[in-house]
Amino acid sequence: MTGVKTVRIDPVTRLEGHGSLTIKLGEGGKVKDIQFNVNSTRFFEQFLVGRQMEEAPRIAPRICGICPIPHHLASVKAVEAAWDIKIPPAAVKLRRLLIEAKQLSSHMIHFYALAAPDFVYGPTADPSLRNVAQVLKDLPDVAVQAIKMMEFGQELCRDIGAKAIHPVTAIPGGMLHSLPEDDRQKWLKQIPELLDNLNKTVELAKTVVNAYIDVVTKVAVTPTYYIGLANNGELDIYDGTIRVMDPEGKIVADFEPKDYLQYYGEHIPNHSYATHIYYKPAGYPDGIWRANTLARCNVADKMATPLADAALKEMRELVGRPSHHTFAYHYARIVETVQAVEWIKTLLEDDDIVSTDVKLSDVEPKAGNGVGVVEAPRGILLHNYESDDKGMLTHANLIVATNNNIAGIEKSLMDAAKFILEENGLSQINLPEPMVKH
Amino acid sequence: MVADPVPVAMGQGSSCWGCFQSLVDIHLNLATVLPLLDIKYWQAVVDYKLSDLEGYPDKSIVVGFFEGMARTAEDIHLLKVMREKCQILIAFGSCSCFGGIPGLANFYDIEECLTTKFRENKTFSGGKVPSENLPAIEPVVRPNTDFVDFDIFLPGCPPTSKLILTAVTALLEGKELELPTHTVCHYCDREKKETPIPEILRPFSGHADPDRCLLEQGYICLGSSTWGLCEGQCVSHGTTCRGCFGPPPPIMSDHGAASMSMLGTYAPNDPEALRIQVPDPLSMFYRFDYATSHLGRMRIKREEAKQH
Repeated sequence: MTGVKTVRIDPVTRLEGHGSLTIKLGEGGKVKDIQFNVNSTRFFEQFLVGRQMEEAPRIAPRICGICPIPHHLASVKAVEAAWDIKIPPAAVKLRRLLIEAKQLSSHMIHFYALAAPDFVYGPTADPSLRNVAQVLKDLPDVAVQAIKMMEFGQELCRDIGAKAIHPVTAIPGGMLHSLPEDDRQKWLKQIPELLDNLNKTVELAKTVVNAYIDVVTKVAVTPTYYIGLANNGELDIYDGTIRVMDPEGKIVADFEPKDYLQYYGEHIPNHSYATHIYYKPAGYPDGIWRANTLARCNVADKMATPLADAALKEMRELVGRPSHHTFAYHYARIVETVQAVEWIKTLLEDDDIVSTDVKLSDVEPKAGNGVGVVEAPRGILLHNYESDDKGMLTHANLIVATNNNIAGIEKSLMDAAKFILEENGLSQINLPEPMVKH
Repeated sequence: MVADPVPVAMGQGSSCWGCFQSLVDIHLNLATVLPLLDIKYWQAVVDYKLSDLEGYPDKSIVVGFFEGMARTAEDIHLLKVMREKCQILIAFGSCSCFGGIPGLANFYDIEECLTTKFRENKTFSGGKVPSENLPAIEPVVRPNTDFVDFDIFLPGCPPTSKLILTAVTALLEGKELELPTHTVCHYCDREKKETPIPEILRPFSGHADPDRCLLEQGYICLGSSTWGLCEGQCVSHGTTCRGCFGPPPPIMSDHGAASMSMLGTYAPNDPEALRIQVPDPLSMFYRFDYATSHLGRMRIKREEAKQH
């Protein structure tokens, strides 16, 4: 064939994980195919087998160093589900504080370090400029507020989890470490500064969204299904039922995590080591869903905290519900950050957070099958383990956050590529002046 | 201080990103450190492509950090390119130093791994191993040190932010990196009474005495055989050590063998009882360094023999 061309982008940069893009162009510059090639896998599902099942929460976090806390917690919840363990209420609060702190730091690293360089320098800037190191030089005040929010989240994780990266304190039956009163007071003192930085971040995000509204509303507007955790309809990242929304905005499923096999389909593509998860009743590719911030904001009726709920309403006025706007993921990330900060404040103000009654003393390993689900920053995360009567892990199935998004990423990339390459889309959108020009 | 920013490159093999997150977690020190670096390659942060890295003159990058292990042909390629381009190459984190937790895949045959991941699991059946536009998966995890020589090893899962800052500062100032060689126990405030362990407990059992050595209470803790660059962060939060920094210098000694020998000293118990109470010694004692251990090396040789 003539005019046929393959473009490789290797590696895809400023993302967590390892991937390349393969774009196949046909006659007349038509976009024929886009592949998101996730180019490694490490076989956790295999080598978790044979371990004492209580060790899984100390091994599984290594799946992701940006979201080790969701893995730690999904893993321990799976073990507890398999062994019929109900942990003390104060331990639930401590775990929730841990995951909300992670949500804060992860969302801030994503917004400021991964995404912001595009908005600060514009999408066509030179790579030597378009990165967070340059933001630090050009906009030191913004960078400092970003670093302080990341620091708050990561260091609070460290106090609860012993390590911010690859935490160790959640154990079947509760938590091995309670939060000392001194630590709690230290964090409460920093809440006013956190709220101040949060407000500045929300304002910056709104400015960016409005400046780039053409991009948000015209590039990669991609209808898909959405999946996310909701607790009685409220967006929740630690506990709840799993909701699925169809592309028209109808909730088509709302189920307990243990019933996931009826709803989760897994497609094994030939061009990616990360598999594609989809809504099984609709089949593949029709049932491709997306997870992550916008998906959670789509499936939830409302946010769980007041300021976040007001922010969600404001977002919906701009992009609707469901929003299929891939670039609105950034906006939803900020809405969720507001909720994380409100949760952190509420939990730190709750006296139960320093309770030492955070661990059962009797835990009996047994044969069982358990599912643990939480929301990782980049989407819903599911661990399913089976154990034998000695409590040794005999089977693992892990449906990690990003796999829920890969097929959706390809779909949105296809929409973006067609718009840019076939329809000369760049001439149809207004790009604002970069915030910083060199 | 340094006049011109120092050319650096950050490479990632198969990894979790956690070592680089730990680098980011030096927090406000980033404001001092980042402007001193001329980042030539760092896929997580800067948009340079692999072809850019391949195109730089050999040894034109002063310092390279390599995170992760060699699971694919592409990982091995990147590792070799990093070695060619960098004057000083750092094995960054325990995956890079020892194979890390992903090295546990060597407990299984690669075909078993591929089946569980791609052919048959609860959510799919009849799948095929992906092969289009993807690098080949290595049949066995060989440690990075089989492919390149490193100048510096910074273990840890991840290395602490403090350790990273210490290392980066020394490198920028052109000074020798000197690290304390204590084990984790040195940093642990718990009291040791030198009493034998009556019985090995699983980590969820009972409530541990917060002031007593966890190992002496019966909880397996690798603190006494593990390099203490962590400064005891787990043991100070009620949790046992699983050895994520590997053995103390000389760091390529056999961590698992030393740990088992340590347990033998503390628990002079009936071997059959020990066998039942420690049902999975391989991942308990070799969790982060199976690929570089003597036992792990035998496993690698067996796999290599199969390939020929």
